Amino acid sequence: MTRYLFRQIGLLLVTLWLLTLLTYGLGHWFPGEFITNSSGIFPDDIRYEDIVEQRAGDAGILSQYIAYLQHLFSGQWGVSLLDGEPVFEQLQLRFGATLEVALLAFLLALIPGIPLGVLAALYFRKPVDHTILTISLSGYSIPVFWFAQIAILVIAVHWGMVPISGQINPLYDIPPRTGSILLDIMLAQPSYLAAALHNALLHMVLPVSILAVMPMMLIIRLTRNAMLDVLQQNYITAGYAKGLSTARVIWSHAIPNAMQQLLRQLGALISLLITNTMIVEVIFSWPGLGSWLVRSIYERDYPVIQGGLLVIAALILIVSIILNLFHAWRYPQVRKDLYGTP
Amino acid sequence: MARPNLYYEERSPAPLEMVWLEFRSKPLAMAALYILLLISLLVLIGPLLTPYEPNQQFIDAISLPPAWSTAGDIRFLLGTDELGRDMVTRLIYGARYSFGLPLLVVMSAALIGIGLGAAAAMTVGVKSSTLKHLLDVLMSIPSLLLALIIIAILGPGLFNAMLAIGLVLIPQFLHVTRNAVHDEQKRAYVTASRLNGVSQLYLLFTVIFPNIIKVLVVQFTIGLSIAILDIAALGFLRLGAQAPTPEWGSMLAQSLEVAYVSPWVMALPGLALFLTLVSVNLVGETLRVAIQRQLER
Repeated sequence: MTRYLFRQIGLLLVTLWLLTLLTYGLGHWFPGEFITNSSGIFPDDIRYEDIVEQRAGDAGILSQYIAYLQHLFSGQWGVSLLDGEPVFEQLQLRFGATLEVALLAFLLALIPGIPLGVLAALYFRKPVDHTILTISLSGYSIPVFWFAQIAILVIAVHWGMVPISGQINPLYDIPPRTGSILLDIMLAQPSYLAAALHNALLHMVLPVSILAVMPMMLIIRLTRNAMLDVLQQNYITAGYAKGLSTARVIWSHAIPNAMQQLLRQLGALISLLITNTMIVEVIFSWPGLGSWLVRSIYERDYPVIQGGLLVIAALILIVSIILNLFHAWRYPQVRKDLYGTP
Repeated sequence: MARPNLYYEERSPAPLEMVWLEFRSKPLAMAALYILLLISLLVLIGPLLTPYEPNQQFIDAISLPPAWSTAGDIRFLLGTDELGRDMVTRLIYGARYSFGLPLLVVMSAALIGIGLGAAAAMTVGVKSSTLKHLLDVLMSIPSLLLALIIIAILGPGLFNAMLAIGLVLIPQFLHVTRNAVHDEQKRAYVTASRLNGVSQLYLLFTVIFPNIIKVLVVQFTIGLSIAILDIAALGFLRLGAQAPTPEWGSMLAQSLEVAYVSPWVMALPGLALFLTLVSVNLVGETLRVAIQRQLER
């Protein structure tokens, strides 16, 4: 395990290093000047001379890159070209908001997803299985941006059950600290705590449930395939031969082993979740990383693009490495394959 | 192909043929295949069928509902949008951008990716598992995010979006091909051919390729589904196809302002996109299951 741990951490460091190379390179590849692109300070600004000196604008590529890394680690990620807001502080706020919806949607997808998948596998090639499979395949194919629009039109506008967009009604004065609205309300402890929480939750219902649909459909299919695989194994037959009840075999032998396979494929799920989070944030004007990144691309706000890409990509890399590590730690039998060549 | 059965020998169908037989026994999957064929037909001869031009405006018919509602007009079967453009015409033209172009992109990405992957597997190169793990980790970054990076450099536009999706898909094809060829090389029949002294090219094209084509077909449908969804998503985010283009994603983006007044303008492009995606995914999933069942046999 130690060997595997070091190997994965090494892998993580290498990929993160490649990522910083990429974002550093972006500063040069974007149209315009490197210093302006990575710091957000225009050449006619009085601070420009200092910034050039700090970021080694006239020096060679290597010292420029080292200066870039130094700025990166000290949290000076430049300012936005549009509104002059410091990128790093904005990122912290928006990171919380994104993580909040993504995590909640993930939980919401997991809770019905796994039982439905197990159910489909138990009724393999029966009407129940066909129904669940058809729903999951067609649900997986709904374009999330269209689905979100329909939901807004029907549930929010036509029925008026929930608000259309945003995080919370701006009448509630909640100072943003973590970016996650529920945490912020709990931290602020206003006198209207219950009302604020209720309002925030209402705003959250639609984005979170729409975001949960596609991952849920994927989880159903992954769970079903994993269960089918496990149910064919010898130890299941052995369990029945020992005289265990069906419930006992399913609960203590089939499901834990199916989870092992599911966990290995969660990486695909994470990338699906992040992609959809970006789109859903744009539609619901959720103040998260995704909507910020997309807006910065057509406004050509280069420091923001660099920062946003770095954070989202790093988040995905770190989560997938953590998943790998957890998988290897929880299920020692898979470590052998992961070592690669003996 | 009918073949007279002169001898009492059992003719076992070719691997691909067996997959097809399995596939044909699924009515839903066949329906999906027919839908895809219909859409492909629309892509090819769409302009011959449509009565109007995609950007032709009818000032007397702005935001007309579909023909079967009381306010509808039979000239415009599915209604018109807020600028008085015929929805049927735009949807049929949109098939070119939302299905035809992704198909082209995936085909070229497959050609390049499979070529490079096969070359990488056949030549003895860097086979360290670290490189493989590195690729695995890098490929966990979602395709839309990679496409966003490329568009951030090149700028928004339909061509740049296509280029970005193509560049994102190439490594996936490369990875799948390389792994598939690698797995086949350990099989006995490959060793047997090698002992017969065949050349590397013959080994690749005649011996290994017929056996991995199934995996590649499945990967092709996955890639197609990704490409259709991502090009539409980029169009929706206004980073891909731009305003008057009748691409389904950008049609959805334009319909946002009028979604409450004329919901059909929003519902129809999304429905078209949904039907296309369901068909592609259904065909892909059925193929995958058919191949898996054949392997188990």
